[in-house]
Amino acid sequence: MRILDAFKERYSQIVDDEPAFFDCLMQPLPKSFRVNTLKSNIDNVKKRFAGYGINLTQMPWYDEAFISDNLEVGSTLEHFHGDIYLQELVSMIPAITIKEELSNARLVLDACAAPGSKTTQMAAIMNNKGTIVANDLSYARIRALRFNLEKTGTINTVITNYDIRRMSKNQFEVILLDVPCSAEGTFRKNSELSKIWTMKQILSNSHLQKQLITKAFDLLAPGGTLVYSTCTFAPEENEEVVNHLLENRDAKIEKIEIPDIHMSWGIEEWNTKQFDPQLKKTVRIWPHHNNTGGFYIAKVTK
Amino acid sequence: MSKEKNSILDYFETRFGISRNHFREFEFYLASKGRVFLGPKKIPAIGEPVSVGILIARMDNNIKPTTNLLQLFGKYADKNIVSLTEQQTKQYAHGDDIKLSPEQTEKTERGYVILSYCNVLLGCGLLRESLIKNMLPKAKRSELKFM
Repeated sequence: MRILDAFKERYSQIVDDEPAFFDCLMQPLPKSFRVNTLKSNIDNVKKRFAGYGINLTQMPWYDEAFISDNLEVGSTLEHFHGDIYLQELVSMIPAITIKEELSNARLVLDACAAPGSKTTQMAAIMNNKGTIVANDLSYARIRALRFNLEKTGTINTVITNYDIRRMSKNQFEVILLDVPCSAEGTFRKNSELSKIWTMKQILSNSHLQKQLITKAFDLLAPGGTLVYSTCTFAPEENEEVVNHLLENRDAKIEKIEIPDIHMSWGIEEWNTKQFDPQLKKTVRIWPHHNNTGGFYIAKVTK
Repeated sequence: MSKEKNSILDYFETRFGISRNHFREFEFYLASKGRVFLGPKKIPAIGEPVSVGILIARMDNNIKPTTNLLQLFGKYADKNIVSLTEQQTKQYAHGDDIKLSPEQTEKTERGYVILSYCNVLLGCGLLRESLIKNMLPKAKRSELKFM
């Protein structure tokens, strides 16, 4: 993978350890999965894998999360049966930030749900109770979403195929808005993406994301929680989008704290633009801190 | 739907011994081509959904349970369960039909059965004499290396 100079120049300004960051982007991601508690349990999976002689490392920040040095985790009976779900570690974090809210929620929206990694995780946290509206704009991607919901035994869902900007008025208690983005945080998984990286795409994403976050906030019930996340480093798609919401709606940012994982706080300014001080409560997950992909998460309340 | 729902619940109970009580928290939804989905009880007013919950059965002249259903609710069953050997489980995951020994079929009736391996409920098969017709959808087939 070749990292463009323009990319390096941008993130040198905000990353704590440039060589470690750029070096980490060149390394492959560890194989990771989540135990699907709708079908199995952590002890059972650990026992079965020990029987296979497959080494697992359990993440201290999420009991359901494991990495393995064995690349054939996908050829286990547990994967076939849906007891485990292959998922990048950082992609598990948005749902963890709303575990408490999800455990009592009756109506949840996963606004950009396909292929369903986070929908199935939220359903497991909810123990198949309540209702999740799993929406995706792309009908082509809904096939993968349905496949994963069925494989994991996720019953409490309704799949919809809307542009959420045109979604009818509703009052969701919890909304996950994991938006389409430039996916810089997934370069380790898909190095091809680094070749098509452009600033134009980042700015175009940012424009759309601002519309999506505003609409998602409007779909939230009073007292509800919205989690906004991306798998990119671009401040235009992260802090700037959440800042846009704060400028246009009476939204509050809740501090995200997860023990035993290294997260950095959101930045306060970018390209001479100052952001709302609340943005410091949002989090950035840099790949070199936990040997993962990259992510940005903001937890917003109404 | 209540007529179809009752037929399905009766079938699950009669065929597998799965009590209707286990479905109380969910609702049944009838879709096109006789497909029956199990989903949440409450659906918000959001227009026409693409689908609700998971596909659990197909109804035409008979009722055909799905692998989705039997993997989740098969743990409540007490009959028409066939235990497979390691080799047969690999064949099943691969999508092949399976030849059973007389011992494996002595407590089962012809028709749809639950396939299991070491207490893992694999899914649905159609038992004809001593042969299991594989009902596993193509997308779910896999080469098992660890089991």
